Amino acid sequence: MILAIETSCDDTCAAVVDGMQILANVISSQARIHEQYGGVVPEVASRHHIELVNPVVDAALLQAGVSLQEVDALAVTQGPGMIGALLVGLATAKALAAATRKPLVAVDHLHGHVAANFLEPDPLDPPFLCLIASGGHTLLAAVREHSRFEVLGETLDDAAGEALDKGARLLGLGYPGGPAIERLAKDGDEGTFEMPVAMARDPGLDFSFSGLKTALLYAVRDLEPSELERRRADLAAGYQDAVVGQLVAKLDRALGRGDWKAVALGGGVAANGLLRMRVAELCERRGLRLKLVPRELCTDNAAMIAAAAQHVEPVPYPGYLEWDVAA
Amino acid sequence: MTAIVGFDTSTADTVVAATRDCDVAFESRREPIVAGGRPVHVNALLTDIEAAADSLGGWRCVDRIAVGLGPGSFTGLRVGIATARGLAQALRCDLAGVGTLAALAAGVQARSGDPAKLRLAVLDARRGEVFAGLYATNGRELWPPFVSSPEELGGRVAALPEPPPAAGDGSIRFRDILEAAGALVPPDSDPVHRVCASRICALAADEGHGETLVAPVYLRRPDAELWREQQARQQKVADEQA
Ligand SMILES: [Zn+2]
Repeated sequence: MILAIETSCDDTCAAVVDGMQILANVISSQARIHEQYGGVVPEVASRHHIELVNPVVDAALLQAGVSLQEVDALAVTQGPGMIGALLVGLATAKALAAATRKPLVAVDHLHGHVAANFLEPDPLDPPFLCLIASGGHTLLAAVREHSRFEVLGETLDDAAGEALDKGARLLGLGYPGGPAIERLAKDGDEGTFEMPVAMARDPGLDFSFSGLKTALLYAVRDLEPSELERRRADLAAGYQDAVVGQLVAKLDRALGRGDWKAVALGGGVAANGLLRMRVAELCERRGLRLKLVPRELCTDNAAMIAAAAQHVEPVPYPGYLEWDVAA
Repeated sequence: MTAIVGFDTSTADTVVAATRDCDVAFESRREPIVAGGRPVHVNALLTDIEAAADSLGGWRCVDRIAVGLGPGSFTGLRVGIATARGLAQALRCDLAGVGTLAALAAGVQARSGDPAKLRLAVLDARRGEVFAGLYATNGRELWPPFVSSPEELGGRVAALPEPPPAAGDGSIRFRDILEAAGALVPPDSDPVHRVCASRICALAADEGHGETLVAPVYLRRPDAELWREQQARQQKVADEQA
């Protein structure tokens, strides 16, 4: 049984996981706060983490119905992420583990997103290909073992969620941008605006979204205000289609290069309805199993950190006292 | 008998101590590996805290954990306070927060033969500013911690009824301004300028000083928050003019 803490970005998370069974998965989201800034502000996030982390840990233990003494080990996200935010979680986890003389596991946040698929119910075990897309990361991971993954491709500039946030801002929509664009795009026609497809056609497996953002910027700039208001839904639809299209094109290409039987999605962008539909179509066409974890396991959470920790060697006290973050 | 483990990470030094009543059982200070470089708080703090607890006979013999609340480096403060809260949460141990400037001022107080009734604590707040607080010899807070320009602090010091002795890296950095205002600043090398963990313990032992609300004393709001407010104000002016 593992108590895990995750504070790499703007959610303060703690979870208790027994084997691959989630006993508690508490997430205190700061999205409402960062909405006012149009993005995550590191200092603001760190200030909230330190206010929230102990109550969130208490809530997870209470919900799981276990005491700190009863857990076998603690786990914490060591990176990647915002250094100040990571430090709050790491310092807390080290102190909790040291005081109880329990082992501690340092987890790679991205391994966490992969490991979300290992959790009950209906776990997916390797091998599988995992597309992780969020506001902080966009990558294709080849998962052949529980304990590791290989990055086949990643973004060369913005993350997919970041691209959606920036696009939403250009269209005068709120933060987070993904859901806002998705809502508006429902009333739009994705075919009426030409978006660049160069990256989707590029033979590599890396992603790039900065060209799309620039194309949207020009499209918005070239429209009269009244015309822009009338065509916003079309622009949102075209932009979302281009972002999702690139994700799916690269996934398709990666699948073509290996003998994969299953696909998994992770990260906040995995909640996007269009992406889910397109990937479902792709998997059906290729005859592959598609694993879609629930929304609360797509976005950042500590249950996925605990799941990854089950497959990493725990370090007994006092081996972790000097650990630093790996931002 | 009160056994306390206390520490502070609001300045560049990682300082830890253990005290039993008035006796110091353990005291450590770690500086950045490179002068002016990144503090070693996250690497060294917990190791030294465990050594401090051991010096008292282990955690079961520790009555209270005390931590410096700042002001100071935001990230440094959070490492210390997160560690303190995590330990207290796991051990169900008493937790006390102590103002870092009060601890600095208490260091001045300890110097013998000093007849002054006031103590000034000044930390370098970067950006050309200082964090400062004024305390009476009995530890009473006369100026609650604040952030200001050194000139503004100098003005306030000059208006005091008697010249206060001053401690802290801010008093070294702005020695000229403070001395011109009448403050008595000991030589740069004097240990009085550095936060001492045994002072954190001493103030935490005194019921009047230990704060039960153990939250960082930032004194400054995040830049992004200030920027957003400024934008909103400018927008309001623009709207009113339109
Ligand atoms: Zn993530």
